Amino acid sequence: MDQGARAALQRGMCRLADGDRGAFPEVFAALWPVLRSFAARALPAFAEAEDAAQSALLKIFARSAEFDRRREALPWALGIAAYECRTLRKARARRREDVSGEPPEAADVRTPEDAAIERDLQAAAAEVLGGLRALDAETLLAAARGERDPSATFRKRLERALTRFREQWRARHGAD
Amino acid sequence: MEPIELRARARRAYELGRARLGAKAAAAALAIAAAAAALGRPLLLTAVLGAALASLAAALVFRGRASGRAVWTGLWAGSAAMVLPLALSTLGCRMFGEACMRFCLPVCMVGGLAMGFALATVARGQEEGEVEFLAGGAAVAALAASLGCTLAGAGGIAAMALGTVLAGAPVWLAARASR
Repeated sequence: MDQGARAALQRGMCRLADGDRGAFPEVFAALWPVLRSFAARALPAFAEAEDAAQSALLKIFARSAEFDRRREALPWALGIAAYECRTLRKARARRREDVSGEPPEAADVRTPEDAAIERDLQAAAAEVLGGLRALDAETLLAAARGERDPSATFRKRLERALTRFREQWRARHGAD
Repeated sequence: MEPIELRARARRAYELGRARLGAKAAAAALAIAAAAAALGRPLLLTAVLGAALASLAAALVFRGRASGRAVWTGLWAGSAAMVLPLALSTLGCRMFGEACMRFCLPVCMVGGLAMGFALATVARGQEEGEVEFLAGGAAVAALAASLGCTLAGAGGIAAMALGTVLAGAPVWLAARASR
């Protein structure tokens, strides 16, 4: 902004502070591009820079009735804009900290590779299970669901079913 | 946000800022009225005058220009003129007895003289709108001073107004003549 524009802005701000509404369009036209370019330099993201510039503009007009005519208008306005940019940067940093501070959930830890391996294992187990006798398969599924009968009969039946399952698994896949 | 919408919001923000400034002046006016009530002025009369003073101060500050600038000067000058008769009725009567109330009218006149001189002195320093400044400041100051000068009845207010004109007019006319 050249000296002439700065002086015009100063005059406009003084008129606004005095209650002269006629100076509003002139001050708006002078301030908006300056604030936009200032925010664009201070913040890398375009949307954030626009938000900061708009917020600063509204604050400047809200406080312009209290503007002290002994102060220079441009540094005063840019001070408000700098504060807005700093506030936005801090808010963004806080959001980033919040995200990284959360404990990771189990579902998030799994990679697509892990999920594929698990699907393969489930398919292999289902195949081995299908080759077992119906009573053995039913006992293993009941144990897997947590529906364990506390009786000794169920325990022995489960042991036998697991032994047969292991034998079948070893026969098909060669390892435990 | 579209530029037109942003412009409208900025204008609203500006008007809200001015309203906030007006509310501060109104709060000061109400504080002056509360002080008058605390110093023994009748509650109803003080409430009516205080409400009028607060409304006028808020409206003038919201509008701005010379009369808006005159509000704070008017409030200071008016509250000083208000305090004189109230000090006489509280401290004076305690020290010298009820007889001191006969000085009430002259004290209102002295308050008016001081008020007029102060207003005219500040008005002559204005770059523009001296008449508007004087009119706005005198209206605010007169209402503020009335909170105390009604102690001497309508005569007290008349004495205060006369004092304001007697002191203010020469200062202001001299300032105009020297320009």
